[in-house]
Amino acid sequence: MADLKILTVDDSPTMRRIIINTLKRAGYNKVVEATDGKDALAKLKVEEVNFVITDWNMPEMDGLTFVTVLRSMEEYKSIPILMVTTRSVKDDIVNALKAGVNNYIVKPFTPDTLKQKIEQVLAG
Amino acid sequence: MSGTDDLQTRIQKEILELTSSINDVVQKFKELKNPLAESHEKVPRATEQLDVINEQTEAATHRMLDMVEQITQREEEVIQGLTELKDWTTKKQAGDAGDMVNKLIEKANTTVSDAYTIMNALQFQDITSQQMNHAAFLLEEVEGKLNGIIHVLQGSQSVSDPKESEKKTKPRVFDPHADMSDKKTDQSEIDSLISRSNNT
Repeated sequence: MADLKILTVDDSPTMRRIIINTLKRAGYNKVVEATDGKDALAKLKVEEVNFVITDWNMPEMDGLTFVTVLRSMEEYKSIPILMVTTRSVKDDIVNALKAGVNNYIVKPFTPDTLKQKIEQVLAG
Repeated sequence: MSGTDDLQTRIQKEILELTSSINDVVQKFKELKNPLAESHEKVPRATEQLDVINEQTEAATHRMLDMVEQITQREEEVIQGLTELKDWTTKKQAGDAGDMVNKLIEKANTTVSDAYTIMNALQFQDITSQQMNHAAFLLEEVEGKLNGIIHVLQGSQSVSDPKESEKKTKPRVFDPHADMSDKKTDQSEIDSLISRSNNT
């Protein structure tokens, strides 16, 4: 847990603060933040990240495109990805899974759900 | 009166009626133009108002987050201090003082937990922000359509070019179904979908 560095991608500063605080309370202290998919790809070039939490609706590059791009890159083919979004239509969830997300949480979420899903993804 | 004269009279009468009808239509269009222009002016004001509400709600949420972060930080320091105090207490003093310290630690932990509950509830701001962006997007669409109608009614003297109006709108990103409580698929269904997807 101590070595895990999480990249949290969300265009909402409020959501980034809530997610980062929730992660820190759960013991995940190393967190990098990005405002959208494009910013996240730039952060990944300079930060060694081993877990990604991403929103879907974002400017510049949305979460689904970001996941698709990540999965097409050799070094991130198997990086754990958790999607946290307001999109709760079944087809969206299916599309996110097809794009390569490992797990999916609909906002608003509880801290327990976030912690549980991270643990599930890490357990494989 | 010959048949030709009769036809000419009837045609003249028809033309007069047609002219009168066209005048009526022109008058109606003139009457219509003012409320349309008025609506066209009000729509951007409504959109701007939504953006202001959005910005103010976000600023207020961040002030609350600042306070909640300070509370949790302070209380965690109190818990740390009390835990150290408990360790310093000699066995002889351990009775009442120890009980008091334990109660204070419990209270501080409850405060931290409550503060995190408040923080978690602030997720509403992201959802209402998306809802307001959706409403502003719809208003901008109405504004564009009104602008198009006014453009047609006024010819080249339109208040603004519809294409110019499109350029002025800011990009809006939102989930049209964003909702605090009405999740189209609940977490247990999502878990089941993920489980099925992992098994195939």
